[in-house]
Amino acid sequence: MANADVPGADCLVTGVFMVRFLHTADWQLGMTRHFFSEGVQERYAQARFDAIRRIGQIARDEDCAFVLVCGDAFESNQVDRQTVARTCEALKDVPVPVYILPGNHDPLNAASVYSSSTFADQKPDHVHIIDDFSPREIVPGLELVGAPWKSKKPVVNPLEELLNELARSDGSTRIVMGHGIVDAFTPDKEAPAVISASALENAIQEGKAAFIALGDRHSVTRIGESGRVWYSGTPESTDFREDKSGYALVVELDGEQIVAKEVSVGQWGFVERKQIELNHAEDVERFNDWLQSVENKERTVLRLRLAGGLTLSLHAELQEKLLAASDLFAGFDIRFDDLVMIPEDADFADLGFSGFADKTVKRLREHIEAGGAEADEARDALMLLLRLTEGAA
Amino acid sequence: MRYKRLRIANYRGVDSSEIECDSRGLTLVQGPNEVGKTSLGEAISILFEYPDSSKHSAVVAIRPVHRDAGPEIELEAESGPYAFTYTKRFHKKPETKLTVTAPKPENHTGREAHDRAKEILTETLDVNLWTALTIQQGDAIDQPDLAKQQSLSAALDKAAGGIPTDQAEEGVFEKVTDEYGRFYTAKGQEKAELKQAREQQEKADAKVAQIEGALHSLDQDTDSAARLQTELKQLTKQEAELTKQLKEQETVLEEIATLESRVSEATLKLESATTSLELAQKNQKERQDLVEAVNDAKKQHAELLESSKESSATLERAEKEFKTAETAFNEADGKRKDADRIADLRRADFDYYNNLLHLQQLGERKERIDTARKNAAVAEETILNNKVNKQALETIEQGERELLTVTAKLETGSPSVTLRGLAPCDIRIDDDEAAIESEEVRTLAVPDRLRISIPERVDIEVTAGSSTDQLTRQVADAREGLDAACRAAGVSNPDSARKAYEARQEASRKIEEKERIEQENLRDLTYDDLADKVVRLNETVPEYLADRTSEPAIAADLGAARTAWEQADLVKQDCHVEWETARQSLDTARGVRDKFSKKHSEVQMELRRLEKNLQQQQSHLDNARNAASDDSFEAAVKAAEQSVTDEGETVRTAEAQLKEKNPDQVKALAETAKSSLSSKQRRREAANTELTEVQTRLKIHGEEGLHEQLHAAKTAVESATANNRSLSRNAAAAKLLYDIMRQERDKARQAYVAPLKERIERLGRLVFDESFQVEIGDDLRIVSRTNDNITVPFNDLSGGTKEQLSLIFRLACSMIVAEEGGMPLIMDDALGYSDPDRLQLMGAVLAKAAKECQIVIFTCYPDRYANIGDAAIVSL
Repeated sequence: MANADVPGADCLVTGVFMVRFLHTADWQLGMTRHFFSEGVQERYAQARFDAIRRIGQIARDEDCAFVLVCGDAFESNQVDRQTVARTCEALKDVPVPVYILPGNHDPLNAASVYSSSTFADQKPDHVHIIDDFSPREIVPGLELVGAPWKSKKPVVNPLEELLNELARSDGSTRIVMGHGIVDAFTPDKEAPAVISASALENAIQEGKAAFIALGDRHSVTRIGESGRVWYSGTPESTDFREDKSGYALVVELDGEQIVAKEVSVGQWGFVERKQIELNHAEDVERFNDWLQSVENKERTVLRLRLAGGLTLSLHAELQEKLLAASDLFAGFDIRFDDLVMIPEDADFADLGFSGFADKTVKRLREHIEAGGAEADEARDALMLLLRLTEGAA
Repeated sequence: MRYKRLRIANYRGVDSSEIECDSRGLTLVQGPNEVGKTSLGEAISILFEYPDSSKHSAVVAIRPVHRDAGPEIELEAESGPYAFTYTKRFHKKPETKLTVTAPKPENHTGREAHDRAKEILTETLDVNLWTALTIQQGDAIDQPDLAKQQSLSAALDKAAGGIPTDQAEEGVFEKVTDEYGRFYTAKGQEKAELKQAREQQEKADAKVAQIEGALHSLDQDTDSAARLQTELKQLTKQEAELTKQLKEQETVLEEIATLESRVSEATLKLESATTSLELAQKNQKERQDLVEAVNDAKKQHAELLESSKESSATLERAEKEFKTAETAFNEADGKRKDADRIADLRRADFDYYNNLLHLQQLGERKERIDTARKNAAVAEETILNNKVNKQALETIEQGERELLTVTAKLETGSPSVTLRGLAPCDIRIDDDEAAIESEEVRTLAVPDRLRISIPERVDIEVTAGSSTDQLTRQVADAREGLDAACRAAGVSNPDSARKAYEARQEASRKIEEKERIEQENLRDLTYDDLADKVVRLNETVPEYLADRTSEPAIAADLGAARTAWEQADLVKQDCHVEWETARQSLDTARGVRDKFSKKHSEVQMELRRLEKNLQQQQSHLDNARNAASDDSFEAAVKAAEQSVTDEGETVRTAEAQLKEKNPDQVKALAETAKSSLSSKQRRREAANTELTEVQTRLKIHGEEGLHEQLHAAKTAVESATANNRSLSRNAAAAKLLYDIMRQERDKARQAYVAPLKERIERLGRLVFDESFQVEIGDDLRIVSRTNDNITVPFNDLSGGTKEQLSLIFRLACSMIVAEEGGMPLIMDDALGYSDPDRLQLMGAVLAKAAKECQIVIFTCYPDRYANIGDAAIVSL
């Protein structure tokens, strides 16, 4: 059956239904990151609103019939009014209907952000909240059903409940929206609200759903072998642990065929290096080169763990380079726990100390060699002396 | 540095002045005031310090007085490798010129010359120390603070054999101190920045806790809302169920109500029939009671009538007995009255006789008293006329004894006559009669003459002669005395006196007797009372007989009267006994009569009442019987009994039907359902209200952006924590560095003290004694001086000693510094506080010091420095 009003949905002459839609989740609107300065935080927040608009653009470009947001559109039910208002404003730019499923971050409880006056007042008409299990025929022949979270800590994942209730979908194509972690990705498989991957596969097998769109995992991920169960991931990265965040999924259902295409959306990167060995001047230089080479610095968050041992002079040089770099990156989290300072004679040779200052240096070095709590203080004291001396010279 | 030549011109009040200095020794510049000595000392500082164009007050101050010219200063000196001449003119045509001759020639003018000169100075010596070591007039006592003088330090280092100090190290220490000072006060207390960082962190933590609290409340409200919504659903369901139950129970209740109504109706009818029966029974009983009452009244009346007759007869008998008793009593009463009269008369008779006797006795007593009183009056008269009382008698008897004594003497010393009686015979001696018994011997003295006569027979006169004259006169005197006494007593001789005395005694006894007689006879009466009684009795006693009835006749005497009275009294007593008996009989009879009389009256009254009652009862019964016969009541009772039986059966039937419905259970269930429903409704309303409140709170707080606020607060905590950690770390580093560096620096400084101390003590021992020692502090100042093994703090020393020690201290410094960098010491009139002895010793000190450093002394007291040894003298 032809459906000229709905882009991306069509009924072919053969009578087989074809639909294309955009699957996204975990917008985490209102998310903040403690390692951001105020200005960076604002840019980061704005990036998430921009992501909505880009999704809208992709939906248009990819001729999608609608957009599914599978939970955690908001970081919390207690987000600021401004966040809600800016979300609604961004949603206006999405040209197709948007179906939003409440997730564990924004459950549909009494404090739900979707019940807030700001959202109620400013929500565009083409935005719909999936607030119960009832099926929606969003285009003739296409049934959409979702399992919204009603509380933060349900005993059973709503999706499993929904799938248990659902009968085989005969005569229409059914898309199911769900939210929560699948047992394959969590060590605590018995935890409440964990979704059984096999249950999802069974639902597909039993004809209860043509596609199950999932949210919660921030990296785009296919579940099972059917190719009909997917996490879209978050459109904009939120953490270092994400393997493949910053994507949306354009899904095309065409009879028995299904094509899920990963489309890049995100602008921000979280880079973590857990062990950077620094022992010599060359190491410091190489590390600095790498720092310089990182692209898109203003939207990149670094977390680096430095290790090794440097002389005071090299350490001071490293600090200088880090200080210069820190201004360029959006976030700059450097751990020095495994990097030790090793004062050497050479560190002080140029200073020409011969009197009490020289003796001071010797005593501080003795402290460092003795180790213990005072060693760190002595290192700092030596660094300070070095800094003051350079200033004095 | 060594000064070679110094010149000033147009300088303050000095036109021109120039001195040449001994470049390695002592130069004494002497001259009066205002020749420019002080100016010369001051000029070197001004020369190096200020450019020629300076308007500084110090420069303005050196303008010449009354002269329009610029002050000029010129110094020729050596410093380090440099030898130079430096000239400056200020104010007027200002000019600066520096000519360096060694190590290589240089010529500079203007500002360039000024800067180059300062450069040379800074390069080769410590300007501060140089200034400090220049002793100015008036502040000579102060010790300069040398702790920061690097020239001195360098020299001291050398002297101590240590490694020379580096100026850079001092600079580093200052920076370290400044860094330490960023975090800690001078006393080592934390500064505000550290505290604030900590407080900031605490505040940030508190803010996070506050927001988390708010979020927690929101979560609780969210949970509450979910719980309330669930509860409300359950409540609505329960309400519907309860309403249904209630409706069913109400239907049953309506049936029960109908049955109850039936039971109630039948019960009412039964009650009515029962009431009718009771009424019929009551009516029947009342009729029976009425008949019985009439019968009773008749019976009572008959019984009382019989009783009335008996009481009437009894009363009659009692009345008769009373009359008899009355007659007997009247008779006894007459007898008693007669007996009383006779007894009274006999008593009066006895009293008469008794009074008569009394009259006689009282008259006798009065008579005795009157006689005694009369005798006493006579005796009193006797005593009044008789003067011989006991004393008069004793006087007389004394005179008599004296007379007899002298008479005896006369008789002893004079012839005597012895008479011996042969037979009793009366004789007369002189004129006195005497008697002599047979065998009686009586010796008579013859004082002068004695005449013894035997009456009528012989008369013998014996004469004594002239030898007894004196005795005779004594006898005459005694006689005269006796006579006088007798005359005074109114008697003729002692014998009459003795008689008179007896008479007087007798009279006294009479008087005493009167008292006794009065007492005995008056007893408890006065004489007047006694007399009155006698008078009264005299009047009354005779009257009794006159007035007395003639019959019966009066008894003969008192005894008979008493007997008659006693007999009459016995008769009277008997009559009284009889009378009392009669009276009691009468009272008894009267009591009996009165009792029966009262009883009879009562019977009569009761009889009348019963009669009346009987009439009434009878009348009442008659009337009732006229209205309804006795049989009609019995019929009514039977009819009513039948009705009660019938209605009771109806009630029992209805109650059995009601019981089958179990009304109590149905009602209890309905009541429970009703209250449960009400309770559920109330709870639903409360839950609704609570839900509304929770939702309102959620609405208000849910959109406050607590999520972002929490993140912001956590970010602030991280920032504050990092800042606090960083500051603490920096502070700890600064403290450790400062502490260690200060310790090391103090140690190094202590090394400087030894050479300075050694120089001071070497010079000082020239002034003080061999035990002289000083203690040098960390700041390189003298702390105390020890001399003669006594240690005194510097500040407690005398002005002179302080001045000397300060000078020695400066000399010691200059001596040390001179070897290394060259430091001339300029003294401007020092040692003003020192006494001549000390001045001499200080001269030796200066001379010794001058061998090691350049010294320039300006003075207007050259004498003070007479003992400074080899010195270049410059006179101004």
